[in-house]
Amino acid sequence: MDNTPALAVRGLRKIYGHTTAVDDVSFTVPRGRVLGLLGPNGAGKTTSMRMLLGLAHIDGGQAHIHGRPYAELENPARTVGAVLDAGGLHPGRTARQHLRIAAAMGGMDASRVDPLLAEAGLTTAADRPIRTYSLGMRQRVALATALLGNPSVLVLDEPANGLDPAGTRWLRDLLLNFAAGGGAVLLSSHVLAEVAHVADDIVVITEGRVAGSGSIEALTAEYGGDLESYYLNLTAASSDRASSDRVSSENEGVR
Amino acid sequence: MFRAELLKLRTVTSTWVALAVGVIGLLVTQVLLVTLLPAMANGTILGDEPGLREELGAIDTGSQAFQYSALNLLGTGGSSGSIGIATIAVVALGILVGTTDYRHGGIVGTALARPRRTPILVGKVAATSATAAALAVVLAAISLLVLLLLVWTTPASLAVPIVDILSSVGRGILTVVLLALLGLGIGMLVRSQLAAFLTVGALLVGEPMLQGLAQLFTGSLPTWALFLPVSLAYVGMADAPSAVLSPAIALGALAAITAVVLTAATVTLRRRDL
Repeated sequence: MDNTPALAVRGLRKIYGHTTAVDDVSFTVPRGRVLGLLGPNGAGKTTSMRMLLGLAHIDGGQAHIHGRPYAELENPARTVGAVLDAGGLHPGRTARQHLRIAAAMGGMDASRVDPLLAEAGLTTAADRPIRTYSLGMRQRVALATALLGNPSVLVLDEPANGLDPAGTRWLRDLLLNFAAGGGAVLLSSHVLAEVAHVADDIVVITEGRVAGSGSIEALTAEYGGDLESYYLNLTAASSDRASSDRVSSENEGVR
Repeated sequence: MFRAELLKLRTVTSTWVALAVGVIGLLVTQVLLVTLLPAMANGTILGDEPGLREELGAIDTGSQAFQYSALNLLGTGGSSGSIGIATIAVVALGILVGTTDYRHGGIVGTALARPRRTPILVGKVAATSATAAALAVVLAAISLLVLLLLVWTTPASLAVPIVDILSSVGRGILTVVLLALLGLGIGMLVRSQLAAFLTVGALLVGEPMLQGLAQLFTGSLPTWALFLPVSLAYVGMADAPSAVLSPAIALGALAAITAVVLTAATVTLRRRDL
């Protein structure tokens, strides 16, 4: 059996000008597992995902999917399904048109479009312009697009944004079934309760660096299994450290 | 990617608006220039309006020069001093192909499907070329119909040989495709739709102004001023060579400029973070 992790990120680094947005970030996602990528706004989660998917150039380290960089996958659209930035939906197109275009781009059969629209609960709205959709409906279109190629890996950036309770339940079941079927999921979210429901492991990033990683069970044991307490404690500590580092360097500058 | 890019084009209203503006713009321009103006100059319409004939001058609808101008697919009548509505619509078509993906974030999905990125631009070039060529065929049909209408409804007879008509139309189609690809390249380089339209607008308006200034200061139009995109397009479609350039050289130069812009767009697309 192939033991290569579905996703493997090692020593990832991204620098914008004089700012290091991501620094030495490492994690792996084995097949059949869901990894929650957590962190405050601007921590470097989305940048890490973009580097993993070949959308942003890597300044250091490696990001592999099934042992290869994303750009070297034979059929990227059939291997990885991704949701980023609410899916890049044109407001004038319909959901059906959007999915057909995505199928054509990935060289996929358009026969999965209608079943996926049904699965996402969009059949009746499928021929309406996307500009008439709510945020939650747009997320459903983006998720349906991610599933189009029947991928073995999902990379989802804030997929629960705007979903109603039924949509949240649908997403939760979708991710659990996906992982149960051997798929690997990298999920970024601020909804910690949802992450606690679906994730097996978590990585917490603060200010571009990994502040904590491991299985949810092990990491939250000290906090009675409460992910929110663990997360807030960890991010507050990192923030304090960063503030004191800043004060020290400013003082050094004064001297 | 070709099929996907065609689907993208077909499913946005702005594409159809650009195509409609091109077709209606040429139709109105050609009907005005090829039928109404000669009729006014000849007194068929408005009769002997005082001063009108002198102002318009004699228009010989049976001359080769006039009939060649009727075959101009961009409705500029071979004049490099004006910018036809069809010219703007054709360049706008290319800009829309190049920028719509960026405007709504669709470039991310496109890059996920084609992570090596060069095929993205190849697909857009193919889709733009096909759509611009289809538009050019419609524009050619309009030009031919207006010319035939002129021949049928006036005493003038067809003065342009069929082979030359086909040659003129062929060069017109090539010019339309090249202008659309130039718009695509600029759109892919600039990325912002508004900025791309402003850039192209400045280029279209600035070119004749630059030529005018160059002529004013040097006394004659310098050779370099002929190698500007709109001038090259108009010389490429013209029936006779200008003093310096033949239509073939003009089209070759326009193709070279377009190739440089598209290559720059490919390089930046490959290097940029999305």
